[in-house]
Amino acid sequence: MFYKISVPPVADVEEIRVLEWHGDVGHRFNAGDLVVELETHKAIIEVRAGQPGVLRKILSDAGNWQQIGLPLGLMSDEESEALPDAAESIVDLAVDFEIN
Amino acid sequence: MSGSEPLGTEKIYFREAIARAMREAMREDPRIFVMGQDVGAFGGSYREFDGLFAEFGAARVRDMPVAEAAMVGIGVGAAAAGYRPLVSITYMDFMMLGFDPLINYGAKLRYKTGGQLTAPVVVKTTAGAKGQGVAHSQCIEAWLMSVPGLRVVAPSTAADAYGLLKAALREDGPVVFVDHKRLFPIAGAVPLAETTLPIGRAAICRSGTDLTITTHSYMTRVAMEAASLLQSEGLSVEVIDLRTLAPLDIETIVSSVKTTGALLTLEEGQVTCGVGVEVIARVHERLGLIPAARVGALPAPISSNPVLEPACLPDASRVVVAARNLLKNRIC
Repeated sequence: MFYKISVPPVADVEEIRVLEWHGDVGHRFNAGDLVVELETHKAIIEVRAGQPGVLRKILSDAGNWQQIGLPLGLMSDEESEALPDAAESIVDLAVDFEIN
Repeated sequence: MSGSEPLGTEKIYFREAIARAMREAMREDPRIFVMGQDVGAFGGSYREFDGLFAEFGAARVRDMPVAEAAMVGIGVGAAAAGYRPLVSITYMDFMMLGFDPLINYGAKLRYKTGGQLTAPVVVKTTAGAKGQGVAHSQCIEAWLMSVPGLRVVAPSTAADAYGLLKAALREDGPVVFVDHKRLFPIAGAVPLAETTLPIGRAAICRSGTDLTITTHSYMTRVAMEAASLLQSEGLSVEVIDLRTLAPLDIETIVSSVKTTGALLTLEEGQVTCGVGVEVIARVHERLGLIPAARVGALPAPISSNPVLEPACLPDASRVVVAARNLLKNRIC
């Protein structure tokens, strides 16, 4: 099954900048692992996997901007699963995020 | 960087535009230094001075105690002595403490000394409401427009903040640079090339034929939102971002109102003796009694209560209602 990693809700902010991905496509994350760091006007947001999964596609590279709620990347339970055609119907990955 | 910005620009946060302007100006001119609360290792109350302390050190990026009168006084004095300080006042409300050195000394120094001394100081301050209550929310830039010798700028975008701050740091007299708390979370495209933006020029943000709205700072976003709503009702609105309040770019305003025949002014501060009064009076002096109206905060202190604060501040729906009423009266 596929999951989206989306920009979490942050008060006052319309869009954020991707600071760093903590793994390449194909990397397997465990629950609690840091997946991606995002930068707002005054804080760094650490997005951590809320469940295990393999990073399959990066939709927004480091340095790029993305709107709140829109997808940054795709993960799947297994690396062998075929990539879906459209991201819209994919459910959101359970994530923990912390604003520092 | 995401591929959607115009060619030759980079998308950065409003605060990064300020930091970039400071960095370029300080590299270019060793007389420029920064002082204010938390401007040093902390990087500024809104992180708008990020990286300056590391690059330029404590002598040029000076943390100060909570003493606004002293900060502005030292700034004006250092400017008279040949430096080019930028004094950062975190909340515009507390600029009031620095009015004596700024208004009685800084703004008048050149006149008083027959041009022998000048006070090239920039007082950068942050206006606007964001849940912090009666004494941390005010927009009092209109108070400063009547001081001869003072320039007042209030940008609404990252690019204008960058360009106007660079220009302000090259001026030979005091400039008050007003930014806004609600602009800091916003990003915008800024030219990659080092540039400045001349003080005293308004920008037409949206062209229209039925009504001119003049505004500045964060309220430019509200005016643009209202203009979109009015467009769906068949009303074509021209939005002018004043960008500089003193001196006012009256030519751009008059030329727009000549076409539209109606003028609405929008500001987050009080309408009594506000920016809009000055704009309307000057347009009337040039064009006669064109239909005009003002929108601003209600005549009450800004509460930190999350219901009362937005109730007091102008929003797009209030602008739409005011525009409709103004144009209805004109047709009658």
